[in-house]
Amino acid sequence: MTMDRMLTLGTRGALAVVLVVVALVPVLCTTFFTSQVGLTSLWLGIVAVSLTFLSGYGGMVSLAQTALFGVAGLIAARLSVESGWDPWAAALAGILAATAVGLLFGAVASGSQGIYFLIITLAFAQVTYFYFAAVPTFGAHEGINGVRPPAVLGDPVQDPARMYWFLLVVSVLAFLGLRHVSRTAFGLALQGVRDDPVRMAALGYNVRLHRILGFTLAAPVAGAAGVLSAWSNTRMSAGSISLAIAILVLTTAVIGGLNRLEGAWVGALIYTLCDTYLRGWTDRFTTWLGVVFLVIVLVSPGGVVGLLGSAGSWLRHRLAGGAPPPAAPSTPAPPVPVSSGGAR
Amino acid sequence: MTGAATGPVLRVRGLTRRFGGVVAVGDVALDIAPGERRAVLGPNGAGKSTLFNLVAGADTPTAGSIELFGADVTRLGARQRTRMGLSRTFQTSRLLTGLTVEDNLYLAAIGVSGGRLRLLRTGRDRTAREQARRTAESVGMTDRLATLAGDLSHGEQRQLEIGLALVAEPRMLLLDEPAAGLSRSERQLLTALLLSLDRDVTLLLIEHDMDVALTVAERVTMMHDGVVIVEGTPTEIRADQRVHDLYLGKAHV
Ligand SMILES: Nc1ncnc2c1ncn2[C@@H]1O[C@H](COP(=O)(O)OP(=O)(O)OP(=O)(O)O)[C@@H](O)[C@H]1O
Ligand SMILES: [Mg+2]
Repeated sequence: MTMDRMLTLGTRGALAVVLVVVALVPVLCTTFFTSQVGLTSLWLGIVAVSLTFLSGYGGMVSLAQTALFGVAGLIAARLSVESGWDPWAAALAGILAATAVGLLFGAVASGSQGIYFLIITLAFAQVTYFYFAAVPTFGAHEGINGVRPPAVLGDPVQDPARMYWFLLVVSVLAFLGLRHVSRTAFGLALQGVRDDPVRMAALGYNVRLHRILGFTLAAPVAGAAGVLSAWSNTRMSAGSISLAIAILVLTTAVIGGLNRLEGAWVGALIYTLCDTYLRGWTDRFTTWLGVVFLVIVLVSPGGVVGLLGSAGSWLRHRLAGGAPPPAAPSTPAPPVPVSSGGAR
Repeated sequence: MTGAATGPVLRVRGLTRRFGGVVAVGDVALDIAPGERRAVLGPNGAGKSTLFNLVAGADTPTAGSIELFGADVTRLGARQRTRMGLSRTFQTSRLLTGLTVEDNLYLAAIGVSGGRLRLLRTGRDRTAREQARRTAESVGMTDRLATLAGDLSHGEQRQLEIGLALVAEPRMLLLDEPAAGLSRSERQLLTALLLSLDRDVTLLLIEHDMDVALTVAERVTMMHDGVVIVEGTPTEIRADQRVHDLYLGKAHV
C-alpha cells in the first residue's frame, strides 16, 4: 500500500500548501481582498463551525448560533466603545456572556429534537434579534459604531494583515479544539447521543446533560466569531444577527458540509467569494445562492468537502489501478457519518 | 452488596403496562434469584419486550413495583438502573452507528465506570479501552474494532449488541432475543458464550429459539397476552400442555 501511503502524504502535503497559501493572503493579495474576502470568510467560518459541530457531532441543527454570536459581539462592542473597557477584557466578557446564554438556550432546547429543536432555536434567534434591535444600550437599530480592535491587531480596514492572521490562528484553534473534543469521552458520547439517545440512556448516560453541555461548548466559539466580526467591521448592530444572517450561517455550513469541521470555512469562503464578486453581475444574487444551496444539498449531503472527499477516493482508486469505488466515499473513518443532521 | 445476596436480584409485583386499550403486561409477579438463568417465552405480542423495557427503565409502568438488588427502582430512569449493574440488549439492534465498534464498547464501559464528561484523556481511558478490546475478543469481534457499527453485517450487529451489554460487567443481564437472525453456527457460539457467563451474573433471556433458551435456562417463565401462565423447569415446560398449545406447537421442538 505504498501508493496509498504516498497519496495520504500527498493529501497532507496539499493541506500544508493550502494553509501556507491561506496564510500568505495578506502578502499576495490586495488589501481589499484580505479585508473583504479574507476577514469575512474567517469569522463567518468560525460561527459556522459552531453549527457544524453541533449538527455533525450532536445531531442538533441550531439556528441560534448567530444569537450567541450577537450576544458576544454586541456586549464586547458596547463595553469597549461606551464603557472604555480594554478590547481584550471586553471580548472576554462578551464570550463569557455568550457561553452563559448558550447554557440557558441549551437547557431549554435540549428537551427537543429534530424539527422542534430547529424551531426553538429559531425562536431564540428572533428573541435575541428583537432584544438588541430595541434596547438603546446596544444602539438599537443603529448598533454600535467605531469599535476599536486591540492596537496590536492594527487597523482592519487600512492594514488588515495582522487582524487576518489573528483570525486565522483563532480559526485553526477552533478547528483543533473541536476536533479534540470530538475524540474525548465527552465528544464520543455526544456522537452516541446523536446516533441513538435510547441506547445511550441504556448505557448509563444522561442524554439531556450531554446535549446541554454540547450546546454550551459551542457557544464560546460562536461568541468568539461575534467579537471578531465586530472587530473586523469596526461595528455591529442587531442587523448583524437578523434571521437572514442566521439562515446564511446555516447555508454556509451546509454548502461546506456538515460532516466535516473544515467544511465551515470552505462554505464561508465560497459564500464570501460569491457575495463579493457575483453580486455586481446579477441582481438575482440571493436566488442564485439558493440554487447553489439546493444543488449541493441534492448532489452531496456532505457538502463541498464531501464532494472533494468522494473525488479524492475515486482518484485514489484510479491511481491504485482498482475499479472505481462505490458512490459513497470509503475514506477511512470520517469523524461524522453522512446520516447525521437533525434527522431525528 | 446489601441484603441482595440472599433476597432476589429482581422482584416484580403487580407490574402492569397498558397501551390505550391493550394490556401489554398485566399484573405480572416475578422473582429472580442471584445467579439464576431464567428464560421468558411466549408468542409474538405476549408482552416480553414490554416487560424488559419496564425492568430496564426504558418504559414506565401503569402500575406495580420493581425492586432491583434489593432497592425499589420503580421511579428510577434507565441510566440509574444501568449504573446499579443492570444491562440489556434490544430486540432490534440499537447501536451507535456512526462510531466504531471499539468506541461503542468504550462508551458502554465508561457509561457505568464513570468519566462520561471527560474532555481530557486519562488513565481511566486506557482501562476502559482495554475493557472494550477484551469484550470484543469474547464476542469474536477483534478484527472489526475499527469498523463503523453501521457498516456491520446483521450477525455482527447482534454480537456487538451483546458486547455492549457485557462490557461493563453487569450483575444482571437482560437479553431480548439475542439469537434472532443468527446463523446456526452463530447460535452455537452464542449458546457457548451464555453458558460461559460468570455465575455472579444473573441472566434473564427472551428467546424464541428453544435450543438456545432451554439449554441455557434453569427456569422458564411462559407469558401470553401480558400475563404469566406457567413457570417451571425446562423439562416441566416441555411437558406442559398449555405451552404446547400456545407456543411449542407452532415453533419447532
Ligand atoms: N409502544 C407501544 N405502543 C403501543 N402498543 C405497544 C407498544 N409496545 C408494545 N405494544 C403492544 O404490546 C403488546 C406486547 O408487545 P411486546 O413487544 O412486549 O411483545 P413481545 O412478547 O416482545 O413480542 P415479540 O415476540 O413479537 O417480540 C403487543 O400487542 C404490542 O402491539
Ligand atoms: Mg419482543
